[in-house]
Amino acid sequence: MGAKWYLGTGAQNDVVINTSIHIARNIRSFPFPSRLSLPEKLKVNSVIRDASEAIDDYSFNYAEMKMLSQSEVVSLAERHLVSPEFASSRDGRALLLTEDEAVSVMLNEEDHIRLQVMYAGFALDEAFKTASSIEEQLSRKLDFAFDDKLGYLTQDPVALGTGMKASVVLHLPALVSTSQITKLIATVSKLGLSLRGSYGEGAAAKGDMFRLSNTITLGISELAAIENLKSIALQIAAQERAAREEIFKTPVIEDRIYRAYGVLKYARMIDTNEFMELISLVRLGAVKGLIKMDCASIEALMIHMQPATISLSVDRPLDRVERDKLRAAMVRQNLG
Amino acid sequence: MICQNCNKNEANMHMKRIVNGRAAEVHLCKDCARSLGYGEAFTGFGFGGLLGELLSKGEQIGSSVRCSFCGKSFEEIAGDGKMGCAECYNIFYDKLLPSLNRIHGKASYSGSRPQKEASVELRIEELKVALKAAVEQQNFELAATLRDRINDILAEGGEQ
Repeated sequence: MGAKWYLGTGAQNDVVINTSIHIARNIRSFPFPSRLSLPEKLKVNSVIRDASEAIDDYSFNYAEMKMLSQSEVVSLAERHLVSPEFASSRDGRALLLTEDEAVSVMLNEEDHIRLQVMYAGFALDEAFKTASSIEEQLSRKLDFAFDDKLGYLTQDPVALGTGMKASVVLHLPALVSTSQITKLIATVSKLGLSLRGSYGEGAAAKGDMFRLSNTITLGISELAAIENLKSIALQIAAQERAAREEIFKTPVIEDRIYRAYGVLKYARMIDTNEFMELISLVRLGAVKGLIKMDCASIEALMIHMQPATISLSVDRPLDRVERDKLRAAMVRQNLG
Repeated sequence: MICQNCNKNEANMHMKRIVNGRAAEVHLCKDCARSLGYGEAFTGFGFGGLLGELLSKGEQIGSSVRCSFCGKSFEEIAGDGKMGCAECYNIFYDKLLPSLNRIHGKASYSGSRPQKEASVELRIEELKVALKAAVEQQNFELAATLRDRINDILAEGGEQ
């Protein structure tokens, strides 16, 4: 698959998996996507595509979603390059994507432009700098819908203002196993942030992966929102480390980690849920130095083992049994 | 205390909320609280349907004003919770304000701004692309609005 952003190792990567910045923008002279006909959407796509060609330092591949197969689109969603909503209806939608998949731009999703920048590890400042630079270069070519009082205008009034959403994905196995997560989700929501499962929602978050994001877009600057997110993320990371200290005081967790590793290493069939549960334990073991595996390859494995991405790797649709067999084989191979 | 919304009835619903970092107190009478959607303040907080849910409880619905740019009516916005275009925010600003305040608080925008206002050439170029798309679509109402806008900008430019 070539060198992708998630193959790098980032800061704080014992807890922080990755960082992303999303920016929503609309072009003033076109109605929002839900009011556009198909030919008008295609026109919007080509206007934005033209503007993207003038961006320094980044070159984008352009794809009409209609031209991709269902598995390809779902795989893009599994790799968090497009939203599940974007994947569900492909007409008139397009994607701009850099080769390393670090920068993606969804065209005609909820807004004309949904820019996303992803970095491995904890890198809010860097990701924001990149996103702003791309946004700024697009704004030289496109007249964005902006209002002095309301900020950047979006199709859904909930997102208006900065139109920016910053997120960090956190691996919180110890906070989940010590049942602190539910309380944490409630606390965080009072601070203008949201904490939800990154693969699957709420308490059913697969692989103990959670996405922490800002929810406030009006009355606070982008930088203030990012500072706020940064400080809460670091506090949660500190709590997770403290909880890890606690759980490692008994031999139970070590046993669970080695059992998880054993199953992954020898299983002949494995479904997504079981894989995610076990790989979460293996990641915890790797961070603690019990298992010799680097975090970046664990993250890559998590992404590559999702159902549609697996089917894509063999270029044909697979039924559940075939997929679970193939997943087990690929995991065994990766675990050496 | 008098209701902040109608300024007539006695306020009997008092809420303190922290919105966008600031504590905001809301004092409303029973009827206004219901029509502004505060009655359900503690129930589901869906994302997409939120605005539609809020607006459809308002009492202003019934007018048939349509956005002069995209043609969407306020009822339609209330129905699906989606604004039709940037101009909708202008045209329906007063009707939207209570819901915007509920979602975002009374905070005003303090984020980044476009570097400079888009140039006349850029605005006209984009409007022309949109105009062409509208004509191809035989959406003549939108085409006429776009043409008027282009003429307005050209007239402004000529005066300067």
